[in-house]
Amino acid sequence: MTWDSFIYFAVAAVVLWAVGAWAAWREKSQIAYSSTIVGLLIFFSFILMMWISLERPPLRTMGETRLWYSFFLPLAGIIVYSRWRYKWILSFSTLLALVFICVNLFKPEIHSKTLMPALQSPWFAPHVIVYMFAYAVLGAAAVMALYLLFFKRSPASDEEYDITDNMVYVGLAFMTIGMLIGALWAKEAWGHYWSWDPKETWAAITWLAYLVYVHYRQLPTHQPRLALWVLLFSFVLLQMCWWGINFLPSAQGSSVHVYN
Amino acid sequence: MGLMLQLSVGPVVWDAFRWPVNGVVLAGFLAMIAIVFLLRERVYGFLFIGTNKAAIPALVYAVGLTIIMGLTRQTEKGWWLNNMLSFWPFVLIYVYIAVILGQIIIRRTLHFQWKRDIPFLLNHLGLFIAMTTATLGNADVQRLKMMTAKGEPEWRALDSQSMIVEMPIAIELKKFIMETYDDGSPKRFASDIQILTQSGKNIETTVDVNKPVEVDGWKIYQYGYDTQMGAKSSVSILELVSDPWLPLVYTGIYMMLAGAVCMFVFGNRRKRV
Repeated sequence: MTWDSFIYFAVAAVVLWAVGAWAAWREKSQIAYSSTIVGLLIFFSFILMMWISLERPPLRTMGETRLWYSFFLPLAGIIVYSRWRYKWILSFSTLLALVFICVNLFKPEIHSKTLMPALQSPWFAPHVIVYMFAYAVLGAAAVMALYLLFFKRSPASDEEYDITDNMVYVGLAFMTIGMLIGALWAKEAWGHYWSWDPKETWAAITWLAYLVYVHYRQLPTHQPRLALWVLLFSFVLLQMCWWGINFLPSAQGSSVHVYN
Repeated sequence: MGLMLQLSVGPVVWDAFRWPVNGVVLAGFLAMIAIVFLLRERVYGFLFIGTNKAAIPALVYAVGLTIIMGLTRQTEKGWWLNNMLSFWPFVLIYVYIAVILGQIIIRRTLHFQWKRDIPFLLNHLGLFIAMTTATLGNADVQRLKMMTAKGEPEWRALDSQSMIVEMPIAIELKKFIMETYDDGSPKRFASDIQILTQSGKNIETTVDVNKPVEVDGWKIYQYGYDTQMGAKSSVSILELVSDPWLPLVYTGIYMMLAGAVCMFVFGNRRKRV
């Protein structure tokens, strides 16, 4: 199995996921489940065959990492769907998976790209994948907050606040997992699990900011609109953590996380 | 209060917290949390500390100080905001958060309900354990560099102040391995080594970047090599790390991991009334 046959598996999987997403909008949940799961199985069979033919888990190159993103996004989508029945979640996860599949299809040279020794770790893929998923969900929560604050004419309903809360809970859960996986990996790679590297400092800031939102929402006397502002501000901090520190003078030369 | 301490006694001297001082401080801290809890009916402020209302301003304050930390250059020799980890207000706000966590953990444990409180305890107790033991145990972490060479067993290592430390293990370099990709970028750094310990072990093994070897409580990492010689380097620099508090910190980390999984699976169970 090589990357040449990727396009057939990818197209089949994306079509099935798209059918699942469409079925979710139409509230035909049986079709949504079966189609998405068959798509996942097809996609995973490609990963598995790559695994066998490479004689190592396909986790090393960026292209291989994207393969896992594309797999995990609809998987997480279907789990969220089964839990809360959001009609839009499968469309969202399919679209994101499609983006990563397209990058893999149209930028094939990245498959052979070298990976420096420091990144060659089984922790690498889960750390990045889980964080990317967290960022995606928290991004959706921020979009929701923008909509409720600035675009919706009538006052936001309790249900809309609940949706926002649930997205934050899912995002925060993944962010926590990503951060802790990072800590366990750091111990293996650098000898210590937390070194207040600028990226780690900003990860802590972002994490604490979302904790502020979660705890504030639980106060019986809180102001919902202020909570939405907290959410937006947290997302700004998240951007700082994600790519902002690459431009931050205080992080230059002192962070091992600054990518060129 | 933090500023007054900073002015009067200077920055926090973390090195002073070596065992057994950190053990005593931890016991004292836990006792203090228990006392605050027991006196909560008598002192109004103590009752407040155990509430969500106390957590929010504390978290906001911590976010603020940590943002300053993230925006400024941090060095060990730095002063005030440039050495946030030894800046009293920064340290005290996190101590205060730990006290709040302690109060709410005791309160929930006394009114324990399985379904409601297991995820809660995993998250909060996990964070409490990880925070306190990582902070107090940090002074006991030893990170040493050992320069190993072919044919010469080495048992001395250098600490961060370049002082020689005699180790209970000796390491001899058998072979330094450096592989590159076709474009010349590094693919692998590793050292084939032989380890002899005072406890009588004789181990031949390979240390790779990202794959440390553990012997008698020491983790051995590939750290560096003779960059002038590259793949022909006849020396390899290894880092030896010992962290006796690690099992406690990992207990906290694994609890938080389980708590995060619970948070994802169960979501926000709070129902509107």
